[in-house]
Amino acid sequence: MVIAWEDGHRSSYSGESLRWACPCAECRGEAGSPGRLARVQSLEADELRVQNVALVGQYALQIAFESGHSTGLYTFGLLRSMCDCPECRARKSAT
Amino acid sequence: MAPTSQQVLDVLATIQDPDLGRDVVSLGMIKELDVSPQGKVSFTFELTTPACPVRDRFKTQAHDLVGEIPGVSEVQVRMTANVRQAFMRPKPSEVLPGVKQTIAVASGKGGVGKSTVAVNLAAALMKAGADVGLLDADILGPSVPTMTGSRTVPEQVNGQLQPILAHGLKVMSFGHIYPGGQPTVYRGPMVGKAIEALMTQVDWGRLDYLVIDLPPGTGDASLTLAQAIPITGVAIVCTPQDVATDIAIKALQMFRKLNVTPLGLIENMSWYICPSCGHRHEIFSHGGAEAAAQRLGVPFLGAVPLEESIREDADAGTPVVISRPESAGARAFVEIASQVAARTSIQSFRQLPVISVR
Repeated sequence: MVIAWEDGHRSSYSGESLRWACPCAECRGEAGSPGRLARVQSLEADELRVQNVALVGQYALQIAFESGHSTGLYTFGLLRSMCDCPECRARKSAT
Repeated sequence: MAPTSQQVLDVLATIQDPDLGRDVVSLGMIKELDVSPQGKVSFTFELTTPACPVRDRFKTQAHDLVGEIPGVSEVQVRMTANVRQAFMRPKPSEVLPGVKQTIAVASGKGGVGKSTVAVNLAAALMKAGADVGLLDADILGPSVPTMTGSRTVPEQVNGQLQPILAHGLKVMSFGHIYPGGQPTVYRGPMVGKAIEALMTQVDWGRLDYLVIDLPPGTGDASLTLAQAIPITGVAIVCTPQDVATDIAIKALQMFRKLNVTPLGLIENMSWYICPSCGHRHEIFSHGGAEAAAQRLGVPFLGAVPLEESIREDADAGTPVVISRPESAGARAFVEIASQVAARTSIQSFRQLPVISVR
């Protein structure tokens, strides 16, 4: 998945990196109990393939994976912070 | 000798749009430019909103600047407006396909006059020449039917509800669908469904602006709306006293979190002129919204007085900008509407992130 940002920056993401970053309560855990992503070591192939992306208002993306998992709302803030281009990586390691 | 078209464009390019921060030629506002061999210059000046606050200034400036070019015998400026699609979107929104701009009116706190502001804002934009709809997203306490004097039940055509026409506005409220004195007793998720229905199951048609009157609070209704459609911007209404501005700030911060641009703050019930003594009273204090806007770094859109006529006309079903356009309240609403329109135009030049999946 590729995002062209309002400021002209471009970020690209693999299905795998997106799936492991899923911010939903089931994956992250809630009320002190760990979520699914903390409990498993690996994910199935169909869990890592992006099937559909829908815009949520103007603040987030809802990403549906082929496994049917689609409860994560990825805010633009989260997605931008995940950008792994050389420029962003250099800035992150500097701070 | 008659000037060239380029000479005319060069002088017009010295006119800056104060809100968009660019010259009017590069913004594409000058159209159908014609220079006759006799030196008669005519062109269309296309604004981004009919409620443009600098409309008259632009016209005089354009007229005078072109008139000063040597060889020009006559200048004809045609002023028009074409509201642009929000966020330069390549394809229209699926939820509200014919709507160019959506403007939400919110407050956080109840009872500060959100609906009154929303109704008059919509009416002022309509009076300026725009096609305007008014969606009452207050499912549990709809006030739009009373304030617009529209109590008819909407008709259904091809499975779509037809909005009610009131004073030239297209209006839709849950109060139209369930009229009478019976309350709507809904939990949050049902409120969300009802708001979605008002957007997707109503035939809004083509609109320049859809004004959305939100219920108080920072909960279900606002969240549903911000998730369902890209809102161009939100105007926050509050009264001057601390208890109202404090909550208005919370509402504004919520919209910021949802990446909805705050168009600015509106101060309602700002002052009161006593009809018997002529004294100006500041019942709810004064200037609170302006101070809060400054603190938050958002525009202050204007102040509306506390007037009996605003309340009377709202109860009687005609917005005060239509029934008493000369009153101080109506003039304040018109001024605020042009500020809102100008702030909205700025948003139409923004581009949301573009997502592509390979």
